[in-house]
Amino acid sequence: SSTDSHIQYERVGADVTMKCGSMDWDTAVTWTANGTDIDESHLNGSYLILKKVDLTQSGQYSCYEGSSWHLKYQTYLRVGTPPKEPVLMCRSNNYPKGFYCSWHLPTPTYIPNSFNISVIHGTREMVCEKDVFPKNRCHIRYLQLFSTVKYKVTLTVTNALGKNSTSVTFDEFAIVKPDPPESVVAKPVPNNPRRLEVSWQNPSSWPDPESFPLKFFLRYRPLILDQWQHVELSDGTSHTITDAYAGKEYIIQVAAKDNDIGTWSDWSVAVHATPWTEEPKHLTTEAQVTETTSASTSSFMPPPTTKICDKGAVVGSGAVAVCWTAGLVLAAYGVLFI
Amino acid sequence: MAAADSPSAALRRHDLCTRGIRLAGKMRADVVDLLDTYVERQGLDASISVTVVEGVPAAAVEHWDEQTGTQRLLENLAAYRAFRALLAQMLEEQQEQLGEADAALGPALAAVLLQVSAFAYHLEELLRLESRGPPSEEGAAPPALSHLGLFERKLWGLGVLRELAQWAVRSARDLRQLTKPSLGSSSAPGPAESP
Repeated sequence: SSTDSHIQYERVGADVTMKCGSMDWDTAVTWTANGTDIDESHLNGSYLILKKVDLTQSGQYSCYEGSSWHLKYQTYLRVGTPPKEPVLMCRSNNYPKGFYCSWHLPTPTYIPNSFNISVIHGTREMVCEKDVFPKNRCHIRYLQLFSTVKYKVTLTVTNALGKNSTSVTFDEFAIVKPDPPESVVAKPVPNNPRRLEVSWQNPSSWPDPESFPLKFFLRYRPLILDQWQHVELSDGTSHTITDAYAGKEYIIQVAAKDNDIGTWSDWSVAVHATPWTEEPKHLTTEAQVTETTSASTSSFMPPPTTKICDKGAVVGSGAVAVCWTAGLVLAAYGVLFI
Repeated sequence: MAAADSPSAALRRHDLCTRGIRLAGKMRADVVDLLDTYVERQGLDASISVTVVEGVPAAAVEHWDEQTGTQRLLENLAAYRAFRALLAQMLEEQQEQLGEADAALGPALAAVLLQVSAFAYHLEELLRLESRGPPSEEGAAPPALSHLGLFERKLWGLGVLRELAQWAVRSARDLRQLTKPSLGSSSAPGPAESP
């Protein structure tokens, strides 16, 4: 006896009939699914009938001759769907070296798919080299720059149950979109309660920022507000914010764009920073507290009576009593505040 | 060659390149605006495809990064001299077609033509700093369009402007290459890196 072992692909919802290899219809057989016996109600003679299959019915199906239990047939049933129209996008984050295209299926097929991509530039067919990782991506080197001829990229996805395809057409300039700036750092500026110094680097994927300079867009806001402030910077990789609210924590992000063409990158990772604030004096160190003791405690003491009772300023014998009374009142007032 | 490499020549070159980059940027912005006006005035679909455009210097170039500084300047100059003639031809046709009724397109075309002429002169100045100087104008006649119908002529004009917009971007890039200290006027850069 021989066993046939292969993979069988069927659509979700389809009715599936499995024959037990070359066995006659009226031969007594037993079918198993993943090692579990299948009820006879699913059999029509030696045929296995599966109605409206679903994903849970994927698995190994085996057919054994009735009494001998010899394995006569085996198949691996994979239930899935034909591919829907794939989603395809192309982008150049490393201009002028080239561009990449990546794709995905809007819904899974549950069975293996193969992808074929073609790139046409005018009459020329170009090779899109598949990336090892991620798998659904390929890249192309530009053979020409500054061309007005559009690129047409067609992706075809095929599986055992069908195929589908999609195309995108674009200009060389239109797909240029750098990666976000890297290493964004924001620091307070000493002795400047309204400033924050922000710096960043060109994305490492941008191959030649000297010849193809980037411009930048910076946005910032205090955490407590929703409104962003924006600044566009045509050169340099740093900026000083000069209108920060004192003492408020800020969130800051930067985006990049080629100086001449394409679109803005996504926003960089957000960084947080709070402008410099002066330390309150009463919360300073013990040494500083000692130094300022006489000054600080004097604020709780009544003003020295000698000043009030400056003899030179007092006229007549009654002034002495006034001074004394004033001194008593002020001393009592001072005690209240200790 | 020695004169081209003197410090004053290098400074002058850098200054011309820097100003040229700004000129190219302004020119591109104006050409993009002109394209919008042209498409609207000529009743064209902005996304219409124009294939080969007769007599128009193509900005597309292979091995761009391997070009020498002199090559860049010569190719740019040839292109802008050609565009000068092409735009003049477009302007003349425009005036014939729309005449006084066109208050927007004619002046916009004239303004861009002026910038193209200025840029060509700028490139000539840069080439004078090179040992070879600018080539004489061969005075190639712009293409005859009499065999084209009205619609084809409109498409042709669209092709001219689109190609000019590409050139403006390329020129800024070319001039930036010239400002790099490692690149002399006639020395080629190293081989292009692989991705």
